[in-house]
Amino acid sequence: MLRIRSLPRFQLANNQLGASRLNSKPRVFPTRRLYIILLLFMLLLAPPSLVGAGEPPEKVYLAELIDKSLQAKLASEREWHLLLHYREDLFGGYTSEQDDPGFFMSPAGKTNPQAELDATLKQFFSDELVGRSKQPAQCAFIARYTWLKQRLAFDDTRLPPMVCERFDRWFADFEAQSITLIFPSAFLNNPASMFGHTLLRVDQRGQTDSTRILAYTINYAADVPPDAGLAYPIRGIFGGYRGYFSTIPYYLKVREYRDIENRDIWEYRLNFTEQQVKRLLMHAWELGNALFDYYFFKENCSYHLLALLDYADPTLHLTDEFLLWTVPADTVRLIASKPGLVSGIAYRPSRSNVIRRKRESLPSEEREIAHRLTKDVGELKSPALNRLEPAQQIFLLDLASDYLRYRIDTTDEPPPELKERNLAILAARSGIRLPSGEFRVEPFAKQPELGHRTSRISVGAGWRNNSVFEEQTIRAGYHDLLDPEIGYTPNAQIEIASVTMRTYNRYDQTRLERVTLANVVSLSPMDSVFHAPSWKINAGMNTIRFGGCQLCSNMVLNGGIGGAVESHWFKREVFFAFAEAEANYSQAYDENHRVGGGGTTGLLTDLTDRWRLMASGTYLRYPLGDKSDDFRWFIGQRFTLLQNLAIRLEYNHRDHDNDVMFSMQAYF
Amino acid sequence: MSKKVLMLSVAVLFGMQAGLAMAANPDTGPGCGLGKLAWSDFSHQKNIAPQVLMATTNGTFGSQTFGISTGTSGCSNDGKVWADQKTTMFAQLNFENLSQEMAQGQGEHLASLATLMGVPAEQHATFFAMTQERYTSLVKAGETSPVAMVKAINDAIATHPFLAQVSTR
Repeated sequence: MLRIRSLPRFQLANNQLGASRLNSKPRVFPTRRLYIILLLFMLLLAPPSLVGAGEPPEKVYLAELIDKSLQAKLASEREWHLLLHYREDLFGGYTSEQDDPGFFMSPAGKTNPQAELDATLKQFFSDELVGRSKQPAQCAFIARYTWLKQRLAFDDTRLPPMVCERFDRWFADFEAQSITLIFPSAFLNNPASMFGHTLLRVDQRGQTDSTRILAYTINYAADVPPDAGLAYPIRGIFGGYRGYFSTIPYYLKVREYRDIENRDIWEYRLNFTEQQVKRLLMHAWELGNALFDYYFFKENCSYHLLALLDYADPTLHLTDEFLLWTVPADTVRLIASKPGLVSGIAYRPSRSNVIRRKRESLPSEEREIAHRLTKDVGELKSPALNRLEPAQQIFLLDLASDYLRYRIDTTDEPPPELKERNLAILAARSGIRLPSGEFRVEPFAKQPELGHRTSRISVGAGWRNNSVFEEQTIRAGYHDLLDPEIGYTPNAQIEIASVTMRTYNRYDQTRLERVTLANVVSLSPMDSVFHAPSWKINAGMNTIRFGGCQLCSNMVLNGGIGGAVESHWFKREVFFAFAEAEANYSQAYDENHRVGGGGTTGLLTDLTDRWRLMASGTYLRYPLGDKSDDFRWFIGQRFTLLQNLAIRLEYNHRDHDNDVMFSMQAYF
Repeated sequence: MSKKVLMLSVAVLFGMQAGLAMAANPDTGPGCGLGKLAWSDFSHQKNIAPQVLMATTNGTFGSQTFGISTGTSGCSNDGKVWADQKTTMFAQLNFENLSQEMAQGQGEHLASLATLMGVPAEQHATFFAMTQERYTSLVKAGETSPVAMVKAINDAIATHPFLAQVSTR
């Protein structure tokens, strides 16, 4: 490394001496003698291979290129930083987010952009196989090569370009025309998917709406062993896994998200030029050489895709907007907010939502026929089915098959009858020689960029047991049941890292009122078709009035499982009930703790599009520790003012403890 | 549910490896020897899943990283499906969706299969009608193996009075 860096300096010294010789005509001889002595001296010091007439021509050219790159300050250009994923650190230096040594040509490359550039130029002369993909550097790092070649105007006779057959084949196989950002929405039943996911699809030339599943995707994911279990969240959060890029055909992603996990998918077609698409793919090819430590909150799937998009169009500056965490929905929001970047949005409903919407569209007697078909294929011969118009029979048979496939794909050991029934229904279906009609599915959750931002700050004031208070809350993420629901998975709450400070005027006391580590609620309305349970889990701290203590800090751990049903009597109502267990730790209790269980029932309803009401009642009995019981109820209302602004009025009751608060929430 | 996803990734890995194995070495030599096994046993994913896991001890399981040469086994893997395997692999991995759409006489998986088989877009309706008509026999073939189903569809195209003339492959 040092050898290479010494070259340009040597040349500079040389030039300066040469210049001084020209400028001092009267004393030619002494200067020249000095020059020769100096040259001999340097010959002794410098490695012989780098100096003199016998120097190989590529060394000379390399020195020229490095010199040129220094003059052009290429190593401090944004393009180079994007290519190597350098981020400026606190002390003004640079560190690459890339964690694979094979990604760098210089051992100091992770933190030294200049050293990396010099070493990269040197490696371009060699056909040595480098990186995880074992190719010559010109091919393994083809985007770097292309950029440096253009900026330094490589002379092909002095630095001969290599044939990159593997890349050419790989690139040609995409038949790439444009890029689509894919957003599979949140999936609460898998912690890794709680916030949704993003990936890119490389759309093919000549692709149509019905053949886009054949396109390849570019996907970044942590390589998690299948039996990770409890280690997963810990290692996932702290970078304990490695993340890799992969190119999985889109049809497999559709199968995974739509069919198996039942997540809606949003597709955002990006307005990239052919040149930008090529840049993106060249850099993606380089990232095939790479691995990043995977950090669930920041350096996750979405973050690294943004880096790819940034490279495709360096004016976008997408990664710069994320400092602490990268929520997939936020990245979608950011991309959708760039003028002219998104040229079209497509919606691909999950299978469960297709079934829901199809059922909604049916009169109840036909819904019953479809339901009976899934239970008993004898129904195929029933007069109730056969007297319907063929188009209606088709609709019911298709719905029955959708449902059976839903059951097959969501059950770990599906009973063989399900498959047999599905085959019988499909055989009957194929007997009606008409194509099934298009059925437009209206999404239950609008696209994510229409929703509120994911961080929240609230200010509020109210009364608690005759004392007036003011409070401020800041919440890192993400969405609770009373937040405006547009763009979010309905009936799902994920609150992470929330802190509330409250000032009680009567006691002249400011205290840490509440802390939420995580508070997750998943309400899954059940009906004759869908039977998923609802569940909740909460870990944090609140302030209680208990026994002799007016305001006491109280640690809470609570978990429950239950069910929910949905009705449409007024607009939309969700009723829920949980059986739950709770553990508390506080100085207010005898023995400082209590453990018990009980239940909660409640209602969530939209009175208008902007106005939501939630009410719940809870009874808990604690047989362990401080033997006591607790009756609570809660009524809260939210009114949405703007996409990122809402107000609430909430009433909380516990034994001898009443709390009313009016507050305003701003999302940022 | 996550088990399903796992099985799916097993299937992908299989498809990839099988495709590569067959293309690079039709006799499936020891290094890429999963090929035969994968094709013949695909209907019993669960039985062979542990074998795949054993075969991919290098830790890249489930993340078909591109730009990576496996080096040791003699088959390189840039994460792409070998061209001559595209159709069979697609049929194999989408069998459930395909059989549903064949019965329904339309659908994106079926349209994609038609495209892979060289049926021009304007003839897709004819292709759909043909697969709907032969649904029972095609699915029966598909249950033996996806290769057999693709072959049966190919035969059906070849003997179809109209499709035989327009199909480009």
